Amino acid sequence: MSVVDSPTTRPPGGSTAPHRAPGSHAPRPRRRSRDALSTPWLLSLPTLALLALLLGYPLVRMVVLSFQNMRLRELISGRTPPWVGFDQYTKVLGDSVFWSVVGRTLAFTAGSVLVSVLFGLAIALLMRRVSRGVRLFMMVAMMFVWALPQLVAAQIFRWMTDSDFGVVNYVIDKLPGVDYSHHSWFVSPIQGWIVITTLVVWAGIPFLAITLNAGLTQVPKELLEAATVDGASPWQSLRSITLPILKPLITIVTTLSVIWNFGLFTQNWVLRDGHPEPQFQTLATYSYTQAFGQSRYSLGSAIAVITVLLMLGVMAFYIRQMFKIGEVD
Amino acid sequence: MVAPAVTRPAVRKRRATADEGVLTVGRSRAGTVAANLAGVVFSLLMLFPVYWVLNTAFKPAEEVLALTPTFLPKNPTFDNFVSAVKAPLFLKDMANGVIVTLLAVAGALVVGFLAALAIARFKFYGRKAVILVVLAVQLVPFVALLIPLFLMLQSVSLTNSLIGVSITYLVLILPYTVWTLRGFISAIPRELDEAALIDGCTRAQVFWRIILPLTGPGLVATSVYGFIQAWNEFIIINTLNSPGKQNLMAWLLQNQTTRGTAWGPLMAGAIITSIPVVIFFLIIQRNIATGLTAGAVKG
Repeated sequence: MSVVDSPTTRPPGGSTAPHRAPGSHAPRPRRRSRDALSTPWLLSLPTLALLALLLGYPLVRMVVLSFQNMRLRELISGRTPPWVGFDQYTKVLGDSVFWSVVGRTLAFTAGSVLVSVLFGLAIALLMRRVSRGVRLFMMVAMMFVWALPQLVAAQIFRWMTDSDFGVVNYVIDKLPGVDYSHHSWFVSPIQGWIVITTLVVWAGIPFLAITLNAGLTQVPKELLEAATVDGASPWQSLRSITLPILKPLITIVTTLSVIWNFGLFTQNWVLRDGHPEPQFQTLATYSYTQAFGQSRYSLGSAIAVITVLLMLGVMAFYIRQMFKIGEVD
Repeated sequence: MVAPAVTRPAVRKRRATADEGVLTVGRSRAGTVAANLAGVVFSLLMLFPVYWVLNTAFKPAEEVLALTPTFLPKNPTFDNFVSAVKAPLFLKDMANGVIVTLLAVAGALVVGFLAALAIARFKFYGRKAVILVVLAVQLVPFVALLIPLFLMLQSVSLTNSLIGVSITYLVLILPYTVWTLRGFISAIPRELDEAALIDGCTRAQVFWRIILPLTGPGLVATSVYGFIQAWNEFIIINTLNSPGKQNLMAWLLQNQTTRGTAWGPLMAGAIITSIPVVIFFLIIQRNIATGLTAGAVKG
C-alpha cells in the first residue's frame, strides 16, 4: 500500500516537521533561508490538505469499511456498522464469480493493451511514411476521435451495434452468405467483448499513435539512412535503431494503457445499458454494482481494495519511471 | 525535467520543417502510394463513428429507425436537436454542468498554482514526497473511492448538492493541474526571478510581476484540460446526485434506461454535449500528451 497510501500518511504528518515556524514569524522575514524553508510548505498546504481530505481519507475509510458490514440499514441510521474482520475478504476470495471477474479483467487488459499499442505503433510508423497532406488528415481524424467524451463514444458504439437498426449489422449482412439482420452482439460473450475491445482500441489509438509519432521524430534520420545504405532491411532498422530509441516512451504509454484499461467501467457499463450481465462485469463495475446496486457497501469496498492492490505494482512502476525522468530536473 | 508546453511548440515547428526532407534513401514511389492509401483508409475508418452520429442526428425519426440505414439523411432536419434541448432536465443539467465545471476549474487553478510554485521554484525538504503524492493520486481509480466518498459527503449533507460534486471534481483535476503548471513555471528562467530580487522586488512582487504573467498561456491550457475532465465526468455525479442536480453526461446516460432509446435526440444531445469539449480539445491538444509523458521523449 505504500504508494497509494501516501496521500493520507504524508501531508499532515510530513508537513508538521518543517513548517511549524510561521506562527512565530516576524512580519518581515529577516533571513531568506528561514523563509525558504516554510514558504514551499505553506504553498503546498492547500493542495495536500484537499488531497488528504478527499482522496486520502476516503482511501482509509475504504479499507476500514472492508472490515465492517455496512448495509442499507447502517447507511440510513448512521450507526457504526458491525466489525466483521476478514469476513468480506473470505467471502469475496471464496467466490468463483469474483475470480472469473478478475480473470476477465486481466485478460481484457492484456488483450486490449497489446492490440492498442501494436496498432498505435503501426500507425505512428505509417505516419512517418505517408505524404504530408495524408499525415495531416490522419492527425485531424485522430484528434476528433480523441476529443470525443468516453460516454459519447460508448453511446455511438451502442447505436452502431444495435441489433435492429445498427449500421454494423447492416454492413456485415451485405457480405455474401451472411445473415446478420437482427443479430445481437451481446448474446455471446466473445462477440460482446470484441465490440468493447474495438471501442477501447479505437478510442485509445489517437493518444498512442500521436505520442509515438512525436517520439519517432526524435530518431535521427542520418542513422536510418546510413543503415539503409549499408544494406539493412526496413525490419532490421526498425528492430535495431527505431525501437531501442523509442523504448522509454513505449514503456510509459503501455503502463498508462494498462492502468486505464484495467479500470474499464464506462464502456461495458454503457454498452450493457447500465446493467452489465455477469459475463460483461469487470472489477470496477463489479465493485460498483455490489455497493450501489445491492447496497453491499463493505463487500464493494473489499473488492475495491483488492483492485487497488492488484494495480499497485503497475502504478509503482509508472511512478518510478516518471521519477527517473524527473531526476534530471 | 522537460517543461511541457511552453518550450514545445517552438521545438516542434523547427522539427516539422526539418523532417519534410523525407527520408529518400530506400523509399520507392509505389511504397509511398500504398502508404498514403493505407493512411487514408485508416483515417476514414477512425472517422466513421463520428460521421455516423452526425448522420443520425440530422435524420427524421422514421429514417433513424429504418431497417435499411441511409448514408446521408434524405430529409435533413434539426428536429432531433430541438427535442433534445426541450427534453426534461436538458437545460437544467447543462447549467449544472457549467456551474460545477467552472467552480472546480477555478478552485483547482488557484490551489494547484501555489503547489506548482512550491515544487518548481523551491528546494525544500520533502519536495520529492510532494511530487510523489501528486503523481500517485493521479493513478488511484476514482471509481474505487466512490463508496467512502459517497458515505463521507452524505454525512455532511453534501450529496445531492452541486457543491459536493464541485469539490470532488476539484480534487479530481488537481494533480494534473499541479503537474502541468509545475512544468510551465520551471520553463521560466530562474535568472528572471533573481534579477528582479536584486533590483529590489519582494518574493510576492516576483510572483505577481514575473511568474504569473509568464505562466498565462499555461494557465489557459491547464484550465481547458481541467474543463474537459470535469465536463466529461458522469460516474461520480450520477452516484452522488439525483436527477435535476446532474450534468449533461449523466443526462445522456439516463436517456438510455427508458425503454426504447430515442436514438435521434440522444445522438443530437451527444453532439451538443461534445461540442465545447471538442473545440477546447483541439485548441490545447499539444499540451495533453506532453503532460502525461513529460520528458520520456527527449526534447
